[in-house]
Amino acid sequence: MSLEQYVANSIIELAPVFATFYLVALGHSLFEKAGLLDLAIDGVFFMGSSIAVRAAVASGSPIVGTVVAAIVTMLLGVALAFLMTYLPISHGAIGLSMMFLGYGIGIIVGYPARLEVGSIAMYAYSEGWAIAIMAISIAIGATVHIILKYTKLGAAIRACGENPHAASSLGVNVLLTRLIAGAVGFAIMGAGSSFFTLAWQKFWDPKSYTLGYGWLAFTVALTSGRHPIVLMPISLVFGGLIFYRVRIGVMYGVEKDVANLVPFIAALAAMLICYATKLKKVLAPPASLGKVYYKEERTV
Amino acid sequence: MSDEYIVLKEISKRFAGGVVALDKVTIDIRMGEVLALLGENGAGKSTLIKILYGVYSADEGSIYINGRRVDVHSPTEAIKYGIVMVSQHPQLIDTLSVVENLALGLRNFNAFTSIRKISSFILEKSREFGVKVDPWEKVWRLTYTQKQLVEILRAMLLKARVILLDEALTYLPLEEKKKFYKFIKEFTAKGGSTVVITHKIPEALDVADRIAVLRRGRLVGIVEGTSARIEDVRRMMFGESAAEITYEKLPASQPGGRVVIETQDLWVTGDFGEDAVRGVDLRVREGEVVGIAGIVGNGQRELTQALMGLRKASRGRILIDGRNVTNRGIHEVREVGVGYIPDSPLALGISIDNSMAENIAALYQRKSALINWSEVYKVASSLIETYRIVIPGADSLIKVLSGGNIMKAVVSKEINYCKKALIAHNPTRALDEVSAAMVRRSIKEKAINNGVAVLLVSEDLDEIYQVSDSIHVMNSGKLYGPFPPDEAERSKVEHLMVI
Repeated sequence: MSLEQYVANSIIELAPVFATFYLVALGHSLFEKAGLLDLAIDGVFFMGSSIAVRAAVASGSPIVGTVVAAIVTMLLGVALAFLMTYLPISHGAIGLSMMFLGYGIGIIVGYPARLEVGSIAMYAYSEGWAIAIMAISIAIGATVHIILKYTKLGAAIRACGENPHAASSLGVNVLLTRLIAGAVGFAIMGAGSSFFTLAWQKFWDPKSYTLGYGWLAFTVALTSGRHPIVLMPISLVFGGLIFYRVRIGVMYGVEKDVANLVPFIAALAAMLICYATKLKKVLAPPASLGKVYYKEERTV
Repeated sequence: MSDEYIVLKEISKRFAGGVVALDKVTIDIRMGEVLALLGENGAGKSTLIKILYGVYSADEGSIYINGRRVDVHSPTEAIKYGIVMVSQHPQLIDTLSVVENLALGLRNFNAFTSIRKISSFILEKSREFGVKVDPWEKVWRLTYTQKQLVEILRAMLLKARVILLDEALTYLPLEEKKKFYKFIKEFTAKGGSTVVITHKIPEALDVADRIAVLRRGRLVGIVEGTSARIEDVRRMMFGESAAEITYEKLPASQPGGRVVIETQDLWVTGDFGEDAVRGVDLRVREGEVVGIAGIVGNGQRELTQALMGLRKASRGRILIDGRNVTNRGIHEVREVGVGYIPDSPLALGISIDNSMAENIAALYQRKSALINWSEVYKVASSLIETYRIVIPGADSLIKVLSGGNIMKAVVSKEINYCKKALIAHNPTRALDEVSAAMVRRSIKEKAINNGVAVLLVSEDLDEIYQVSDSIHVMNSGKLYGPFPPDEAERSKVEHLMVI
């Protein structure tokens, strides 16, 4: 195999992995940019990937799978954003509850599809889609970046994340802004999670929820400072580690189970590097991330 | 119909914990007037205009604009009615640029308009209003005055007809304050209205057409600005406590021989890498109050922060009670028994997301592994009582308090904590006259009765003269003095402040 071929193959292999991590981390970042703490990520990830399978099997088209996954997770995102903004309840508690709800819904929705068809390979995206999926992901990321950085809506989203009380006083409709961030962010996450089952694994199993890949996407977002562009290389690195972990393991004579740990160890290392060094300031989370925003609270 | 523009009718508001903030307050705001809202700390002034601005909603009562009853549920709605509030703490987003902040409230641009396009509109307008601020600067890099300027510019951009100033000018240096008042006069001359909340009666008499006084959530009365006398307004504000207000010089202390706070050729770097403190030699003896006068931004903040170990000294030494604490961090300084009233109380003085008791525990019981809560509550209730802090209880979160009462919480716990030294930076700035007088008395008593060495840094020259045993002036990072207060002529001190 020539070098060009090897590189081309690698890209095609990695594209769905990249798209999965990138989009899930991107949607999650957008949600958190608005000050909404997203601990539901792993459950949403599993739920989205399962719904995608069910919808793809039912319709026969992976595109329908992706769209339905995006719509359903979007609704969940809107609900989360609403509850976290409108009521004085802990973002952490409601996020974790939603995570488990996501696992549950994922199994209920995904299992019948698996029983029905066994293998989902024929309902998944073909290899020809790999490059398109990657390109679409990058385009979505670039659009999110432009909106966040250069438009009034983007400034409003960042303002809600930094200081929702001040944002409101400046004339931002905090609830509406967060609903938008919740809807768009979770829709992107849903689309990303659909690529996990329909483009990367091409396989669904209730056991897959133990993978914890949602949390890896969480780490990807954290170590990129929730920046849509910085997310790209970091997603690629983490995607590569996951995808090649077995090969890496074989190369260095490491046992499979230990090799499986590599991405998570890398995640820990990345977080340590980010938060023990000066990078901490550059990658600082929104100042009001996870703080209860309740309008009737008397503030100074 | 008269020239009444807005009427707040029988507004009542009660906060969680049962604090009654407002009790059937009726007040009107007229076209083209400056209305001053006066009252002691926690009288309900802020609450009233926050209801008008849609930050809070009233439990009872109604708002009329141009004779029509309206509901104002959010600042966004208030802005639609031409009402804009500027508060004491700039409500700007630090990590956003000036344009981004200003763009957020502009209705004439949709959500997807690029910030660049909005910036040209803002630039054009700011030239029109004569406000000079770099629109691309991040807000955290601006000075306090610049931030307030941006807030006023924002009000203009939003086509405000009524500007609500919630202690917005309290923290401004005197010169800047005058400029703002001039601007307000021009604004009202063109038909706009301004509501000014302040503690300073002379200021209110100076700028206001009418003065409304609130006391414990009730409207005491409204008087004409031109005919009102300072004593009458004081009595309306404080009732009998008005007698406690004094600017007489407090009795001098008898300093001991021991030097408690000492700096030797101290140099401190400011936020932007400049030498903010330049070779300061300072000595404060036990039982002595040393005052440092000066205009804000001349290195006072950096000096006090370096003394507390919150900022690195680039050169020189700091000795507290004979111990070299230079660059050792705040822990070591606190260990010696130093109280600290910072210039930015919300950032450095208290955690508003915790209760009064928790804040006290964090400071007083920092060395013990277990917190003695009964001790903490004893201290808390004694401070609440002594300093008349309006708070539902020691368990209440600090953020439910009014601005002045938060300041009282900071000041009381620090004055009570200090054993050897107290470093007080603008300790009475957000306080009403009665509370301020009490705080100044407590500081002096601490020096006289307990031999505490006090470094008082203040922009208020009256305060410096009232409390200090010796006076310094700080200008451009250098310290002039000491001067004995009886001999130091005010004109000379004022001159040193501005040269």
